[in-house]
Amino acid sequence: MSEARTHPPRHGRHWWRGDTPGLKLARHTLGLVALAVVLLPFADLAIHTREPWTELGRMALGMAWPAWGSLESPLSAIGLTVAVAIWGTLAGVVLGFPLALLFARSRLVRAVCAFLRAIHELFWALLFLQVFGLSAVTALAALAIPYAGIFAKVYAEILEQTPRAPRDALPPGTGRLVRFVYAELPLAWAQLAAYTRYRFECALRASVLLGFVGLPTLGFHLETAFREGRYHEAGALLWLFYLLIASLPGWSHRRLIPVLLVGGAWLLGPWPSVDGALVWRFVSEDIWPRELLAGDWAGLVEWLSRIPDLGPAIGNTLLLGLLGTVGALLVAMALWPLACRHFGNRGTRLTGHGLLIALRSTPELMLAFLFLLLLGPSLLPAWLALALHNGALIAFLVARHADALTPGMPGLSATGRLAYELLPRLYPGMLALLYYRAEVILRETAILGMLGVATLGFYIEEGFDYLMFDVAFFLLLISATLNIAVDALSRRLRPRDGAVMDDPCMR
Amino acid sequence: MESEQRRPPTGPALVRFEAEDLGHGRDRQGRLRHLVLPGLALTLYEGERVALLGQSGSGKSTLLAELRQRLGTRAAWCPQHHGLVPQLAVYHNVFMGRLPEHSALAALWNLVRPLARPWREVGELCTLLGLEGLARRPVGRLSGGQRQRVAIARALYQGRAIFLGDEPVASVDPHQALRLLGLIDARHSTSVVALHQRELALSHFDRVWGLREGRLVIDAPTRALTLADLDALYPDADAPADASSEPAAPTMPNPEALPCARGRP
Repeated sequence: MSEARTHPPRHGRHWWRGDTPGLKLARHTLGLVALAVVLLPFADLAIHTREPWTELGRMALGMAWPAWGSLESPLSAIGLTVAVAIWGTLAGVVLGFPLALLFARSRLVRAVCAFLRAIHELFWALLFLQVFGLSAVTALAALAIPYAGIFAKVYAEILEQTPRAPRDALPPGTGRLVRFVYAELPLAWAQLAAYTRYRFECALRASVLLGFVGLPTLGFHLETAFREGRYHEAGALLWLFYLLIASLPGWSHRRLIPVLLVGGAWLLGPWPSVDGALVWRFVSEDIWPRELLAGDWAGLVEWLSRIPDLGPAIGNTLLLGLLGTVGALLVAMALWPLACRHFGNRGTRLTGHGLLIALRSTPELMLAFLFLLLLGPSLLPAWLALALHNGALIAFLVARHADALTPGMPGLSATGRLAYELLPRLYPGMLALLYYRAEVILRETAILGMLGVATLGFYIEEGFDYLMFDVAFFLLLISATLNIAVDALSRRLRPRDGAVMDDPCMR
Repeated sequence: MESEQRRPPTGPALVRFEAEDLGHGRDRQGRLRHLVLPGLALTLYEGERVALLGQSGSGKSTLLAELRQRLGTRAAWCPQHHGLVPQLAVYHNVFMGRLPEHSALAALWNLVRPLARPWREVGELCTLLGLEGLARRPVGRLSGGQRQRVAIARALYQGRAIFLGDEPVASVDPHQALRLLGLIDARHSTSVVALHQRELALSHFDRVWGLREGRLVIDAPTRALTLADLDALYPDADAPADASSEPAAPTMPNPEALPCARGRP
């Protein structure tokens, strides 16, 4: 500080050394990209093309001429998808909100939430599948449990960021509950509602994905059609899914939510008959290595050594997470101006908007599946899928924030607007979003394992497939630990200054 | 003259600082992290109307916060930048002035359906402050001046003997400012008001506290003061038009000292 004062900053020399927020963010970003570039040689990015074009051509034909007539009961699949999503989200809110209030104060609550959200919905589903079978309980628990952890964290962050001034203005002696309801909740309400809505959209995607493990949602029919090569039917289902997501603003109106909830309750099912003894056996015996329960430590070491490829699996998971994060940043930087009102014309904006919606609505698993067909099995298809999906998601949010900004200097050129008006205001928030997303990306690397990419998820699914619950559960714990570590790291690295995107209460 | 008649020159002391250090943020040993007002010595007497003057950053808010803390529930408080909840209606924001007097249940029910008595009282206050018909409107949809009046209404609704305000008339025109200060006077026996309008300070208050860079440089009854005395609090006011009195100023040569004589007689 004092040095900077005695030597006025000179242009040209050591310009990157200053401690202005812009320079800090630039160094930060370049460091992240450099790390990804350095580690790139360790990733298996080989292209094993095996004439994918005929298959891809058939898929494209399927998309272009969807066979609407051949769909069996598409309405019940859609109904179940929506019902699972809305009830799963609601259960997540009910569980997560009280946790959010304790979040800042209790280390235990933070740890529990970190664990809950560190395991992907699909893996929770695989776990509950063993106990509750292919039932509504499995589907709801698979969504509600991780979402409770996510809601707790995000709600807590939103509440923490509400302006303090109204709270400070209250007369002394105001009760905790009343203070919360008058001077905190109203300030956070719009953001809480917006986040819940966004999470519901995620729940819809996850609900579709639950079909991949056998629950009869849209994804089940989609996966069956793809696997059996009935691409015209798959095309119809995919279009149906896009329609569902695109029409979301129309049917997810506040007033319609009770109707959806009541209607959804009818569609939920089947309800399992739970065998308590079986559940207890699963929780107390099946998921733990026998050697551990017997206290046989030498045996436990031997059990550990029998787990295949643990090191490479962890390495691949982390590497894919890093590459996916950096890729998402680059994709987001490239895409957000396309969909925001400050650039281009009506046509380009509509196209950009459509592209972003398509990329962010397509489940990563679907994208990865497509790239896998095109490029062969390696980290590359998974990387592309993660980068495109998450990058589009960030770009969408950034574009929406950009739309709310009014440049202080009208009449600047597009470049000037981007570099002087918008990017300085948006980039901290964008990087914060990315760091929040890094954890999600890592979680998604795991499920990409289900397509055969050699991440932890690959071995977890293998464990469940071969009924080696102890191995699967152990790998799940490892994957959760990695997620928690990455979450802690991203929390530390996340830019804080100016990361909150503009708040009308402060104006 | 009128004010001399109306108010006794000094009542009992309400708050007394005897060479105290004020600031904010305390470390583990209880020492101040940011010292704003070192060695402050002043006394607030009951029945006195005090104007608190000084540039931004001179320590007005720190002094007011300390006064608020010491006076506790005896003082009504009108914070800088209003501190309102934009999403809630004018009625609810004003009601918040008396939140502790209601049970939690009543306060929560009041959000669903206004309680009868507060609704009437707040309505009267709104009429008095020129906010009639706006009680149900969210504060976020009001103009700056209207928000200011809501913030004052909330302070008045607290019904305390002492009024502490951090620039409560900063965003209204001079005519309104006078009217609002009159309302504040009518309902409080003692007041400390931070403001920037020097003329208003002389015409409307009994005493002026003037802060400059963390020191109390003026503590005198207004009849002993002139506008020129108050100018000393604002070193920029009499400087040339460019008014660059930031700390960086010494490195920037005064235009008068520049060798180029162009434009000078």
